[in-house]
Amino acid sequence: MKYLRGQFDLCTGCESCLLACSHRVTGGYNPRLARMKVLKARENLINRPIVCTQCENPFCMYSCPVDAISKDKISGVVLIDKDKCTGCGNCIKACPDEMIHLDENGKADKCDLCEGNPLCVQFCIPGALKLVEKQEVTGK
Amino acid sequence: MKKSAAMKTLLYIDLTQRKSVSMEVASRLEEDFVGGKGFGAKILQDLLPANTDPLSPQNMLIFMTGPLTGTLAPAMRGCVVTKSPLTGTFVDSYFGGHFAQEIRYCGFDGIIITGKAKEPSYLWIDENRVEIRSATQIWGLDTFATVEKLREISEDESVKTACIGPAGENMVSFALINCEFNRHAGRGGTGAVMGSKNLKALALRGSNKITVTDTGSFESAVSQAYKELAANEEVQSFTTDGTPGVVDFANIEQLLPTYNYYNGTYKEASGLNAEAQRKHFWVRNTACAGCPIACGKVGSIRRGRHKGVISDVVEYENAGLMGSNLGISDIREVAYLVKKCDALGLDSMSAGGVSGFAIEAFQNGLLTTADTGGLELEFGNAAAIDYLLEIIASRTGIGNLLARGVKEAARELNRGADNYAIHVKGLESPAFGPRSVPGMGLALATADRGGCHQRALPILYEIGGEWKGEMVKRNSLKNKAEIVVFQQNYLASLDTLVKCDFAQYGITAETYCHLMEAALGRVWDPSKLLQLGDRIWNQIRLFNLREGFTRADDRLPRRFTEEPLPEGPYQGERIPKEDLEQLLDDYYAIRGWDSSGRPTEAKLAELGLDKMPVLVKVPGKDN
Repeated sequence: MKYLRGQFDLCTGCESCLLACSHRVTGGYNPRLARMKVLKARENLINRPIVCTQCENPFCMYSCPVDAISKDKISGVVLIDKDKCTGCGNCIKACPDEMIHLDENGKADKCDLCEGNPLCVQFCIPGALKLVEKQEVTGK
Repeated sequence: MKKSAAMKTLLYIDLTQRKSVSMEVASRLEEDFVGGKGFGAKILQDLLPANTDPLSPQNMLIFMTGPLTGTLAPAMRGCVVTKSPLTGTFVDSYFGGHFAQEIRYCGFDGIIITGKAKEPSYLWIDENRVEIRSATQIWGLDTFATVEKLREISEDESVKTACIGPAGENMVSFALINCEFNRHAGRGGTGAVMGSKNLKALALRGSNKITVTDTGSFESAVSQAYKELAANEEVQSFTTDGTPGVVDFANIEQLLPTYNYYNGTYKEASGLNAEAQRKHFWVRNTACAGCPIACGKVGSIRRGRHKGVISDVVEYENAGLMGSNLGISDIREVAYLVKKCDALGLDSMSAGGVSGFAIEAFQNGLLTTADTGGLELEFGNAAAIDYLLEIIASRTGIGNLLARGVKEAARELNRGADNYAIHVKGLESPAFGPRSVPGMGLALATADRGGCHQRALPILYEIGGEWKGEMVKRNSLKNKAEIVVFQQNYLASLDTLVKCDFAQYGITAETYCHLMEAALGRVWDPSKLLQLGDRIWNQIRLFNLREGFTRADDRLPRRFTEEPLPEGPYQGERIPKEDLEQLLDDYYAIRGWDSSGRPTEAKLAELGLDKMPVLVKVPGKDN
């Protein structure tokens, strides 16, 4: 199972990831419409990419009253069934990193890892975004 | 309507009347001028009455973007266009960062601001809603504190801001507009124009999305542009070393300004280069919106009296003008002084030129300790420069004189002070001393906004490049005018987009054309780009002629024409006046201008400027 990792030490703050993501999601460019964000601090000394890490224990999934959110057993990706979603917003409140938003149709929307080949990683020239393998921790 | 990356809308704000209007972009404006510099040139020509005082409410302060700004097309920026209080010419000053993109996300191609607010104000633009708000909470703050306060007031860290510092409030002729952290519309005093309007800042937030005409071909053009950037050696060097990589080169080639341009080499240049900066403060690369190059290098100073000060890269221009040009070899002192300029809202390039002028004027008895509050002005004294910056920004004592730039200060001091005033048309010269590279001299003499290295940089041809299959001779005048015209036209065309000066080393003309075609749905080819640039260049020439500029203003400072380089590999080199006149003759002929520097009727007809109608009108007026 793979997940996205964002590294503040390598992120240049260019937000190309957000542009590529916003275009995939909405068909147009605007970093505010992406399924991730980049936080900036200390005069741009710090750029911190915040991404959905496809949680092992997804708060969003548990918060959904209609079971519209599920975790794929093979890929580990946390997915939203838009037909089931009622747009109640529980999942939005549940995610502490604000990785879920309502889409143009009022349905919950989140990162789906671009079906295994994330565009954000492709456009991250400095290598601050990586698709990494989840390590099983012994003794868990 | 066909999908296009252009918003086709400009926001017009009159601060006197407290009103804002969305204006539709005339299709001819889009076709003939594209965006950015092109729009700015035509809008200023159309809206600004001749001989307007740059600091009067009637001047226009124009924030422009290009049609690719805010898309995934790599490294696109914005510019501020206005009539300069420093030069009296058209000025276009470019900025990176993320502010230009946000203008587009608010749904506009540009913002035109005129009039003067009754009280200190700032503009809050949320989506397409405009509010003129009181700036009492931020007036007087430096640029860093202003950004912080605006974020706090709007309760949103993601708002994008442009603001002036105390220097802009006090209308220092070379005040800048800060576009968040080391990204500025730096040159030509755009910040003074903003201050004259009682406008402290703009804060923007927009969720409008930009859609291109042909997604598939746009994506392939973007991917081609990324490949070209990755493969280009110059671009790679900007990623590794940023612009300070140029310090060693310029020092070897004797182009680095030293002691107010006395010489072109500096014994202690290694104290200012990329290696020195890396050693003293760099931690990480930083980039403007959508840029894979990341020429910025941020860090905090590790040792010494400025320990803990966060600084972005000290750009080559500042290493030159605030460093070697003032005899300061400790990069930490230079970083501190440049940051001080940023905070006060002073263009650090002009501030370096002004400081060099002041030191030389002091050494020659034109200024005395009675003028400086007892301070000895001398090269190498960072504390003295620190003091000068303070009194310039606050316009205290001789600071009030120096705040007008070297040209005006020299006029006032008289007694030969203009020998130390290194400027063209009032704009303090950039950090490329041209005495051994006459093509660069011509580029400085003819740049539309005064002494500027960004309109053409023929040095790269002059130090061993080829032009049309022939080796270019450094000290010869041959081909130089042709190279300058070509570069001016080509770069002006890309400044409609608005390109980055460094990305254009990698991205080819063909790829820029593909990006434009796919985004805008109009066929482009490189020859059309050159014609676009030619049209803009002539449009701006018409503006500057209208404002009273003549051939006599296409000049170089006396130091470059009369005083030879004193030593070093290019000892004895200068650009004699007769050589400059020859270059101007060649240049005007290639441009299709008469010998007085005025475009001929035939040239204007060729570019469609002979019967060009007014394309931009003041909303609600019939002019």
